[in-house]
Amino acid sequence: MAELRCAGLVKSYGSRAVLQSVDLEVPEGTLTAILGASGSGKTTLLRAIAGFVELDEGRIEIGETVVADSGVRLPPERRGVGYVTQEGALYPHLKVADNVAFGLSRAERKAGRRTAEVLELVGLDSGFGNRPVHELSGGEQRRVALARALAPRPRLMLLDEPFSALDASLRTDTRRAVLDALAAENVTTVLVTHDQAEALSMGQHVGVLRDGRLIQHDEPSALYTAPADLALARFVGDAVVIPGVVSAGRVSCSLGDLPLAHSAADGPVHVLIRPEQIALVEGSTATVTGSTYFGAETLVQLLLSDADEQAVTARIFSHEAPKLGDPVALDVTAPVVVFPA
Amino acid sequence: MAVAALAFTPVVITVVQALQGGASAAGHVLTNHSTPGLLLRTAAAALLATPLCAIFGVGSAWLIERTRLPGRRIWTVLLVAPLVVPVFVTGYAYANLSGTLQGFWGAVAILAFSYYPVVFLLVSASMRVLDPALEETARSLGLGGWATFRRVVLPQIRPALYGGLLLVLLSGLVEYDAFVAFHYQTFTIDIYSQYRLSFSASGAAALSGLSILLCLAILVCEALLRGGANYTKIGSGSRRPATRVRLGRSTLPALVGMVALVGIALGVPVGMLVYWWSNASAAGHAAARAELHYLGPAALTSVLMGLASAVLATILALPLAVLAVRHNGPVVTALERSVYVAFALPDLVAAIALAYGATRLVPSLYGTVFLMVLAEALLFLPFALVALRTTLGLIEPALEESARALGLGPLRTLWRVTIPLARPGLGAAAVLVFAFTLGDLSTAQVLLPPGMDSLGVHFDADARTVSFAAAVPYGAVMVAIAMAATFVLVTQFGRVRGLEAR
Repeated sequence: MAELRCAGLVKSYGSRAVLQSVDLEVPEGTLTAILGASGSGKTTLLRAIAGFVELDEGRIEIGETVVADSGVRLPPERRGVGYVTQEGALYPHLKVADNVAFGLSRAERKAGRRTAEVLELVGLDSGFGNRPVHELSGGEQRRVALARALAPRPRLMLLDEPFSALDASLRTDTRRAVLDALAAENVTTVLVTHDQAEALSMGQHVGVLRDGRLIQHDEPSALYTAPADLALARFVGDAVVIPGVVSAGRVSCSLGDLPLAHSAADGPVHVLIRPEQIALVEGSTATVTGSTYFGAETLVQLLLSDADEQAVTARIFSHEAPKLGDPVALDVTAPVVVFPA
Repeated sequence: MAVAALAFTPVVITVVQALQGGASAAGHVLTNHSTPGLLLRTAAAALLATPLCAIFGVGSAWLIERTRLPGRRIWTVLLVAPLVVPVFVTGYAYANLSGTLQGFWGAVAILAFSYYPVVFLLVSASMRVLDPALEETARSLGLGGWATFRRVVLPQIRPALYGGLLLVLLSGLVEYDAFVAFHYQTFTIDIYSQYRLSFSASGAAALSGLSILLCLAILVCEALLRGGANYTKIGSGSRRPATRVRLGRSTLPALVGMVALVGIALGVPVGMLVYWWSNASAAGHAAARAELHYLGPAALTSVLMGLASAVLATILALPLAVLAVRHNGPVVTALERSVYVAFALPDLVAAIALAYGATRLVPSLYGTVFLMVLAEALLFLPFALVALRTTLGLIEPALEESARALGLGPLRTLWRVTIPLARPGLGAAAVLVFAFTLGDLSTAQVLLPPGMDSLGVHFDADARTVSFAAAVPYGAVMVAIAMAATFVLVTQFGRVRGLEAR
């Protein structure tokens, strides 16, 4: 059963349409990542759910409660949502424990049990309670902010780019801690991010927002292997796009006659191939023109030696990478996706 | 809304008074041959003093916030102190120092040297929170120190600067207390004599109507100047202290400038108090001693009045300041500005209006301490508002939103998040109003309940009728309290609790 249901959300600022009829359902106990470039309307969506943005149109239900509809606008404090912002917004005048206990009843604040419980949940020991917040590292600040939002047992957790200001090494650990804490509390979550890897790795579902429209809402693997359009294909990962022609359930292009991932009408198409689908074998149909080293893997730039001189990129293990100028042949390893040209 | 209405009450009463006198009486005053000249003299003094305040205020703020000037902490206290030293004490000091200071130039000097701290406080608070990365980027793009200041810092501090200059200009236009020792005829003094001579409030009210119109014109100009420019920080910015300029060979001139500024603004009134006391004759000292037993009760009255109006003004200013900071819009701006219009009413006229209104509507209020406290609180509300706004503007909305998401209503959010964070601002607002009330003369002269005495009223009476020496103890106590107030102001103005530790 869906814990969060949004239907037909519309919001404009002046003449700028920020949300254009967004529908979104998030099943209970799952995490949906909303992926979008800056200006796509993702933060507005989150703030509308939280109750900080008044919608022009649309209906939002959290659990059994209609929190926004025409003529209904429940104030943020009565929506029962947890809301964590990019910077964490910890209260500088309060200690860690007082920050975490902030949304609890007076009795629960005094007892302190819930405070210790959620602090432990996010991976901080109770000794943190007495620390002033400005002594915390970035990762610790995010954890405290999450603990504070979790403490009152919200029905729905909203995370607005909570990891984007953290450096890479800290981000992985903090993500893990956040996911574990959310799972332990079994809280339904919407995470907003501009980071594809973050969306794909954290969300059970990923919704992609572009120009205020939810253009695809799917499981991460489906989003990656079967994106709704070419622009989205490029947005969620590296993409090689070459022209081709579909006929009889296969597509022929400069990389050969390839099987289709899903059926398509005959005619000219754009063929989407992920760089990791391309294997390098012995032969001389292409030349290595450059490479970018990423440690475990390397992105190899190649030029096909056919008439079109098509440039493609392959992702291979670094120890198998060829040298600059080497002749190679290419082999596409899995079915490909096509888009009408 | 209610607060703005309350603040507006004296304005309404004044207009009613002006109309009650009949068109002829009001017309007679307005067409009086001296009126345009008076208006011009008043405006000229205020208009000359305002840019001086800008130079003194911005210059000293830059020295304190952006250079390695030695003794910055002490300088800060000394720079702010002239604001809370009662302006009529400074007035008597200037007038007594030199005959040339008794006319127009004296008026300009006293306005400039008494009110530049308003600009200093606002601008330095604004500089303190500027993202230093903005300046660093400018320097790396090849701009020198002065160019960086002019092209990066100045545009960023412009709202604070305009806000400060607005207060200075309006204060200057309606200043009365500063000129009691002068032979400088200003608009307000004329209004006062109109009131004293005829006891018909309508003539005075008609004149005040003019000053309200003038104020409206200034407010419109300020709104146009401020325009729609957006100065809010983009992103969270970096929170580190700004790089300070090494003054090097300019240290000495900078120090000399500071000594001169503080010397004229603070040294002269304090020095004159010492001079009056030490140069008094034996008879003068005897007279002073005879006056001394009034000191205790007068001080007690002043302090209690100051505390009461400080608390009242801060409470009244809080909702307005929260509205102004959190909700942009024409209605909110109009509400906020209505407070300034009331401020354009000369203290005295506002006091008279309140007294008049009280006798007509709620006679039981007239002659009470409450009416006096209310008058002072309304009078200094703009200062409380400015102090609160400066601090509230630093509190990220996300902090309040988190509280809402955690289940707190707007009022409980105010109580548990905004007010605790804004405590320094609340303190600064209260201290400003306290100090101004303590250093107020004209309102107390009209509204102080019979039989009560305040430090200011007593100082003025002694300076006028007994001797300067007799007035000295009263002045000294006021200056001492002002210095204590300054200390609070300097440490609290434009700060947020917990933020400075970052």
